[in-house]
Amino acid sequence: MERCPRCQARLLSREEARGLLVAPDQMGDPADLWRRIAPQVGRSAGLPDTPPVAAGARWRWAAAVATGLVVAATGFWLLHETGGPGYGPSLAGPAERFEIAYVNIGGAPAQTFVYQPQGSDTVFVWAQKTP
Amino acid sequence: MNEQEIIEGCLQGESSSNRAMVEAYGNLVLSVALNVIGNRQDAEDICQETFLQVFRRLDRYDRARSFKTWLLTIAYRRSLDMLRKKRRFSEFSARVRFEPAVVGRGGNLRPADPEPLPSALLKRLSPRERTALSLWANEGYTARDISEVLACSASTARVYLFNARRKIKALLENDHGLLQNG
Repeated sequence: MERCPRCQARLLSREEARGLLVAPDQMGDPADLWRRIAPQVGRSAGLPDTPPVAAGARWRWAAAVATGLVVAATGFWLLHETGGPGYGPSLAGPAERFEIAYVNIGGAPAQTFVYQPQGSDTVFVWAQKTP
Repeated sequence: MNEQEIIEGCLQGESSSNRAMVEAYGNLVLSVALNVIGNRQDAEDICQETFLQVFRRLDRYDRARSFKTWLLTIAYRRSLDMLRKKRRFSEFSARVRFEPAVVGRGGNLRPADPEPLPSALLKRLSPRERTALSLWANEGYTARDISEVLACSASTARVYLFNARRKIKALLENDHGLLQNG
């Protein structure tokens, strides 16, 4: 088959295939890929292999402690507010209409769909990156 | 930095080696994923997932095998995963009632990217056929090399490649307009 000219004429040649496919050298600067991947690999990826300065670590700790305090205070306040009269499951009726203004994925508006199967109260939300 | 040095560096967690690996093989992985998936955004996601998996599992790489083939095997499997995920969503959305009026889009969406491939042609091929064609045409892979990526026998890989070449050739001969439209 590989040596038969007539058979080969019925098959796409390598050159023809290359003309249809995307080649690696058409993909642009690979450094762009690295910029996208580096944050996932780790905070130190892409940076010189030196240990972070101590001041940075201290700030991170301070930020984490502050965040924790805010979360704790908010939780306490919510518990306190919802513990009184007027709050409780008996007053929460079923929503007649489900709405989402928009959904962001990775900082960009996502394609978002809401589905409700026929005859069901179940609502499915599907969000995906915009192609 | 050669391939072995890059691999050694990655095994030791050196970010400069991770970067060197992405810069050496990123475009290769991206092009294969794009040829299989046909969508740049998804191909970039696959590329990212592939390298993250490679960095995590590099200690499992068998040095007796070609590193490039091992890498492309992971990229191919990731591409299949992406296709399955998309198929599941399509089946799901076909079963439920769509309520388009409920959700706003919340901002200016980018216009759709132009399709990077003559997808009208490539959609006629299965993912295995597309992978085989891409590796054969762009990387010069033989049926045996392709079989390692597809995890099948060399003769099966040869059939995938043969079918891909035959189908596309026939389509090109029957409909010259596909190339312009694709």
